[in-house]
Amino acid sequence: MNVYVKSTIPLAEDAALEKNPVSAEIEFCNVTKMYGAVAAVKDVSLKVRRGEFLTILGPSGSGKTTALMLLAGFVAPSKGDILISGKSVAAVPSYHRDQGIVFQNYALFPHLTVRRNLEFPLEMRGMKTANRAARVERMLERVHLNDFGERMPSQLSGGQQQRVALARALIADAPILLLDEPLGALDRNLREQMQGEIKALHKEFGKTTICVTHDQEEALTLSDRIIVMRGGRIEQTDAPEALYDRPTTRFVANFLGEANLLEGSDFKLECEAAQPSATVAMIRPERICIVAPAAPKRADGGQRQSVIGTVDDMIYAGPLRKYHVRVGSSILTVREHVASGQQIFKPGDQVRLEWLRSDVRFVAD
Amino acid sequence: MEALQKLGRMPTGLAVPAFAILLVIFGIPIVQLFLISVNAPSFSVVNYRAFFEQGATVFVLFQTIEMSVVATVVCLIIGYPTAYLIVAAPKSVRTTLIVLVFIPWLTSGLVRTYAWTVILGDHGLINNLLLHLRLISDPLPLLYNRLAVYIGMVHITLPIMILPLVSVMQGIDKSLMAAARSMGARPSAAFWRVFFPLSLPGVRSGTLLVFVVCLGFYITPQALGGLRDAMLSNFIAAQLASSLSLAPIAAAAFILLAIAVVMLSIFGLDVSGTPHETAQPLRKSSPYRLRALGRLLQYLYEIGIRYRANRWTVHLYQPIGNSGRSKIVGAVFVLLVMVYLLFPGLVVVIMSFSAGPFLEFPPSGLSLQWYRSFFGDPSWTLAFWDSLQIAVTVAVLSTVAGTLAAFGLSRTYPRLRVFLMMVILTPITLPAIVVAVAAYLGLINLGLIGTKAGIVLAHTILAIAYVVVIVAATLANFDRRLEQAAKSMRAGPVRTLVRVTLPLIRPGIIGGAVFAFIASFDEVVVTSLVSGFSIRTLPLKMLENINQQLDPTIAAVGSLLTLLPVLWLIALYLTWWRSKLKLQGASANQIA
Ligand SMILES: Nc1ncnc2c1ncn2[C@@H]1O[C@H](COP(=O)(O)OP(=O)(O)OP(=O)(O)O)[C@@H](O)[C@H]1O
Ligand SMILES: [Mg+2]
Repeated sequence: MNVYVKSTIPLAEDAALEKNPVSAEIEFCNVTKMYGAVAAVKDVSLKVRRGEFLTILGPSGSGKTTALMLLAGFVAPSKGDILISGKSVAAVPSYHRDQGIVFQNYALFPHLTVRRNLEFPLEMRGMKTANRAARVERMLERVHLNDFGERMPSQLSGGQQQRVALARALIADAPILLLDEPLGALDRNLREQMQGEIKALHKEFGKTTICVTHDQEEALTLSDRIIVMRGGRIEQTDAPEALYDRPTTRFVANFLGEANLLEGSDFKLECEAAQPSATVAMIRPERICIVAPAAPKRADGGQRQSVIGTVDDMIYAGPLRKYHVRVGSSILTVREHVASGQQIFKPGDQVRLEWLRSDVRFVAD
Repeated sequence: MEALQKLGRMPTGLAVPAFAILLVIFGIPIVQLFLISVNAPSFSVVNYRAFFEQGATVFVLFQTIEMSVVATVVCLIIGYPTAYLIVAAPKSVRTTLIVLVFIPWLTSGLVRTYAWTVILGDHGLINNLLLHLRLISDPLPLLYNRLAVYIGMVHITLPIMILPLVSVMQGIDKSLMAAARSMGARPSAAFWRVFFPLSLPGVRSGTLLVFVVCLGFYITPQALGGLRDAMLSNFIAAQLASSLSLAPIAAAAFILLAIAVVMLSIFGLDVSGTPHETAQPLRKSSPYRLRALGRLLQYLYEIGIRYRANRWTVHLYQPIGNSGRSKIVGAVFVLLVMVYLLFPGLVVVIMSFSAGPFLEFPPSGLSLQWYRSFFGDPSWTLAFWDSLQIAVTVAVLSTVAGTLAAFGLSRTYPRLRVFLMMVILTPITLPAIVVAVAAYLGLINLGLIGTKAGIVLAHTILAIAYVVVIVAATLANFDRRLEQAAKSMRAGPVRTLVRVTLPLIRPGIIGGAVFAFIASFDEVVVTSLVSGFSIRTLPLKMLENINQQLDPTIAAVGSLLTLLPVLWLIALYLTWWRSKLKLQGASANQIA
């Protein structure tokens, strides 16, 4: 998906910024980063398209930050090469790489006002003082911080600091934007609001963006594509929906959302295709319907498999209701949206679970 | 090979100037000294045997160890409860108390030793008072005995014990004590089972520092003790003045050095192996004492902040029950310790304004006569100017070299950093007299004995150590991601340094410069060995006059030596405070 939306902030105000393309292409070629004997990033190859929003998702210690720092030039790869717009940046120091970065703790300069923080990247690119002021003003306006220019970073709330950091990363119009857990420090409501903000800014500025996060919801909401990392390797790369719907490995299936892995279960799993070897059958909890044993079968009953089980417990979570149902020796998780007129089951109740055969996936073990 | 290349790319090279000075003034000479002590190239232990065969020198050696042990133990006995009470005090009181402990540490030990001669002398404060009250008919022999030496030694080293203790105790999470008590531990049990074990690192570093400083004592036993109270330093200095051969001196210096090194390596180095320490992230594995000092400085840095939210726990969970009586006992104890620490300096300052024909305390009238006589006497003013010139030069030189070194070391491998840090701190870790003898030899090599340049270089190796400690502590708190942020915005290494790093660590650099100035301005042990007969710094001239007890002008000198560092400290505090203020609320008016 190539976004070529022209940014509302005119680019060529100053000779210093004239040559910047809107966005750039990034390529990792077999990149490995060793710390002593530990490989923080292991043989990673990856291509990021211009204007794409890519999220790196993975558990703690999986090498996400390292991957970002490799791209930013703060650590050098032990093996492999990184290309930006087709050119190797192995010999390019971080301060010539032309990237905007939002650090996890924002890294706003504590001794400079918000305005001076925003001016910093412009000044470093040799932009004239007169041109800087207007640009800073517009950027402040864009992130709704018009009246905050003279404040020190320590006088801002977390969300405001976050917006300053975003503005500072975007103001010099660098073609690449890197976000390291940008919303990690914010509370849930603010995080949702800022997700919208980031999405809007991405649409507006069209920068190639790489975002590192722990938060799967954030990854699913924001990204064009998600990379799941595990132990320094890329486990799977896909668009959000495809990744959630068709995980290729047990790890991804478990890491992204919840999964019922039907291994060694007492009942025979019926499905459309034959199960490949060394795989496990998987079905998402929301794909399973829970009904009373005697409830009439649906019209498409032929496509469905149904089993009888006993409710173990029920967990109420706002809009959702989660059941753990014992079927033979295995326990299946079922998730159901709360709706009016629904039958609610109690622990000990007999229930019938059914699902479409086409909703069963096979993931590599 | 790859590691070497990487090292080359790091800014470790910035540490070169500091290490070059250290190598020339201290490193090479100490090796030379060792070779001399073993009669290289023939290599024999004859000098060491001679040392141990002479009853007198062995006696002095054991006496040195004995006095150091006693002084250290007394320091710990007084220092631990003092530190505890300071930490337990309400915030405002605590801050004041820490500053009050800090002030004597910064002021000249020479002056404070002089103060004790005034207090304890036959016509001194105590005897005069007792005679006046007719409690005694003849002056008590308070001065020139072992007790006087102990009083002086403990007085001088007590801050070095209290400050690391306070910094460690500050770091102990008070809610741990509350937790212990919630689990049914009585206050005393909570103290012994939780607080005390956690404070042991402070005990260890304080004890070690005090002991090593005591080993090198030189002025105090000479000024306050009798003939039989000499320590090894006095022996070495006397030998250096009289003997033609360096060999016995070298041997004696190395024996002292060996004791210090053994103590340091037993108690200093194994610290990194304790489980408590290894739990910390790698980059913090600097030598323990350094960290204690760093944490202390950090605390001082934070004094500028009035109210910190996370301190409320301190008020909630006072470590020990606040019964009225224990409170009073504690307050009286702290008061006595503060009097002990501060009164001598105060005596000198007040006495220097006395109007009578002799120095007296309390003064019968006030006048500036001793200051007039100080500034009217060219030999004093010359000494003053020399001291000032030397101290300013030292401050500039060591601040530049030390800041570069701290910066370079902060960017290198942790293990290498720990090692280099230890090396650069040796001049202030080892007994002063050993450093003095080495510097003496180093300046002979350079032909700079008896020159200002020589004194500057000798002081610089001490001052650099202080600058490195302080700047390194500031850098440790500095968030490296700010530099990365600057670099991601196209700031090259130099511009990143100038625009981001330096402004943020400026308080540390200024603090380092102030300490460097004070270290040089007060220095007397090294100076007395390397000045030849041509240069008299202020402390050196004062030392001569203490010994002769002639010129009352030295009260004015002592007062100047005491007040200047205090003024510096205030200036420093204001700078820190201002820079904090600037970060915290400079634009409060814009919000309003
Ligand atoms: N400077 C370093 N020295 C040694 N090992 C390191 C260093 N930086 C990272 N590592 C190791 O590399 C691995 C990957 O670290 P990285 O910081 O990239 O993980 P992450 O995915 O960002 O984790 P988190 O989500 O917790 O931030 C970890 O095992 C980590 O211990
Ligand atoms: Mg990370």
